[in-house]
Amino acid sequence: MSDTTALIFGYNNYSIEMLKNVEHEYDKVKIYSLYEKDLKTEGYSIGHFDLSDNWQEMEDDIDIKKSVAFCVLEEMDKNVFLVISLRSTYENLSIIAVASHKEDANKLLMAGANKVIPLVETTADIITNMLENPISNDILHEILYEKSALKIAQIKIGKESHFKDEELSSIDWSHYNGIIVLSIMHKDMKSEFIYSSKAKRHVVQEDDVLVVVGFDQDIKDFEKRIGSNRYVNWNHWGW
Amino acid sequence: MFKKLIIDFAFYLQTSKSYQARKHFYENLLNNNKYRYKKYLDILMISLIFISVAVLIREVKHPIHDYLFYFNSYVISIVFLIEYLFRFWIHSSVSKIIVERAEHDSFLAHEVNLYKAFKKIVIVKLSYIFSLTAIIDILAVMPFFHELRLLRLFILFRVFKLFRYANSFQTLASVLASKKFEFFTLGIFASVVIFVSSVLIYVMEANNPASPVKTMFEAVYWSIVTISTVGYGDVVPITHEGRVVALVVIIAGIAVLAFTTSLVVSAFTEKIDEIKEIKTIEDITKLKNVYLICGYEDLAQDVAKKLKKHGSSIIVLDSDLQKISTAKNDGFTALQYDPGETESYKKLHLSMEKQVKAILCLHENDVANVYTALTVRSLSKEVHILSLLMENSNRKKLEYAGINKLIYPQELIGLITKELVGQPVAFEVVHELRSESSNVNITEILITQRILETYALVSELNNKDFRVVLLGVYKKNREHFYFNAMGETLLEAGDFLLVIGYKVFIKEFEQYLHTRIHDE
Repeated sequence: MSDTTALIFGYNNYSIEMLKNVEHEYDKVKIYSLYEKDLKTEGYSIGHFDLSDNWQEMEDDIDIKKSVAFCVLEEMDKNVFLVISLRSTYENLSIIAVASHKEDANKLLMAGANKVIPLVETTADIITNMLENPISNDILHEILYEKSALKIAQIKIGKESHFKDEELSSIDWSHYNGIIVLSIMHKDMKSEFIYSSKAKRHVVQEDDVLVVVGFDQDIKDFEKRIGSNRYVNWNHWGW
Repeated sequence: MFKKLIIDFAFYLQTSKSYQARKHFYENLLNNNKYRYKKYLDILMISLIFISVAVLIREVKHPIHDYLFYFNSYVISIVFLIEYLFRFWIHSSVSKIIVERAEHDSFLAHEVNLYKAFKKIVIVKLSYIFSLTAIIDILAVMPFFHELRLLRLFILFRVFKLFRYANSFQTLASVLASKKFEFFTLGIFASVVIFVSSVLIYVMEANNPASPVKTMFEAVYWSIVTISTVGYGDVVPITHEGRVVALVVIIAGIAVLAFTTSLVVSAFTEKIDEIKEIKTIEDITKLKNVYLICGYEDLAQDVAKKLKKHGSSIIVLDSDLQKISTAKNDGFTALQYDPGETESYKKLHLSMEKQVKAILCLHENDVANVYTALTVRSLSKEVHILSLLMENSNRKKLEYAGINKLIYPQELIGLITKELVGQPVAFEVVHELRSESSNVNITEILITQRILETYALVSELNNKDFRVVLLGVYKKNREHFYFNAMGETLLEAGDFLLVIGYKVFIKEFEQYLHTRIHDE
């Protein structure tokens, strides 16, 4: 992993949950709050920041090139301002922001966030799926978030992969038992469903990413057989 | 001895389940607008009324067939008579009155006084017989005695029976009844004006040979025609004095008309919300698989819209009028009822077990959600409750309130972030599958007996021809998901296929599965 510091801006329930979930992924996790009263909170080491462009103090402490910023300020106007402030200072910083609505999400994207999680829409999607498609919801939840034997993985096509330069439609996936390929992602296209017309005509190239579902061992076998590796960098949003 | 027999028989009827069930059935059939079979009786009765009137109109100038004549005079009359007798029966319970009297007298250690019981029965039954609707009902039976020509005109009374069967008439009557006092005052005013003007015009005109007003009846006729602003012109005053009276009556007529119109309009304006609410509740009782959303804040609005896309029935309850009007503008059935009150659910006449799929407590406030959940639980132990959790410290309280599923958005965001950081593309794919706005979806297809008759094995499904990925088979009886199920996996009724693909292709695939015969 190239990003080794997680910078969480905002001290609230969201940032605490984020901290719990991402602290094992990074060497360092830093929480920054706009309010000085939060700095005394027991159990967490919280730094102070303001919305001026003075990030020197923060830069002294961490390597900004190896950082990901999580912007979770509850006041959406300040969150947008924070994102635009970070983006104007650090062109290549990866920024993930939380928005309450789609409208705010659009503003955050315009302000330069790489990825925005619209809180209301995402929660509503999860509730709807829970009620209307309980089986698929449970299975997807298990695949994504629980320690289930079934995994979803993204596999990057390497130089040596024997899929390279093959048209996607000509590949017989049934040779790879236990694996279901869901989609492919290329530099100049979004993630495309494997049966979409665009994906079918696509010629597999180096650095393409396949999204596959399967049991852990089957995925490992698949990686070996096609000569590719699991891919864990999320910087494709910068593409 | 005879007294004892009567009392025993009354007790027998009161405790007889079959008798009470039958009586309850007829009560529902005749009087309960929410009873599902009542509408069929209403349609039958309305049809009989129209047939009756059509026959009456036809026979004015044309001879009618005998069978139609007998149908109109006898069959319809007998049907109406049976209905009248049933209504007479169910209006009050004779056995109940006797039992109550017997219990009352026994409690006071008196001899049972059946005379008092019978007196009460007569009073109660007479109150029915002399009610307006019962009088109309019995007059509608009169054409049975068709030999008396006048009685045949009583067919027209059958039209008044429409009031009983058409709900809108009852609504109209209830609206107008709300202004009873105002209409009464207006009626008194109009009557006084008509009376005074009739007498005056009679006094002024009756002795003039050229005047068309010669009798008191003509005077009253002129007054009513004038005050109602109809003014046929067949009877007109010719003396100066009579014309002065006419001027006063015309002005009074305008006032009466304006007052009547404004009364009707204001009665409707005041009652319109109530009428709409009654109609909404009537519609609600017919719904199935309902999601009851309690609280209509931001998340609730989004959830409601997404569930609506799935074709689910949604009812929104919120005590805030503004939120209710937002819900109505969004196209939902919404009522300004407090979700924390038992009375709100009782008013809905919803069966929690049979009609409600889930109760969604989506207030962005844990206190309100706990209160709502406890209210719902006090009414039903079975209904599924999903609730929003705003503060993790309140989790136990919400669980204790009997909520089946808690949604803690902060936790979801944490999990999403973790996956986002680790496997962004995979996350994006799963997020797309879950998203309502995406074209590619994951769908559950239920394996029915009909599908099984053609497709017994996974290998026979041909999902690839439809560009659909079969993620696996969920065996409901074993509660196990078989990922990437082998071709030879045997399908069973009740299994679910989990498929991924474009919505349109999944739909085609589903239709294909349900079609019994396929071209090879």
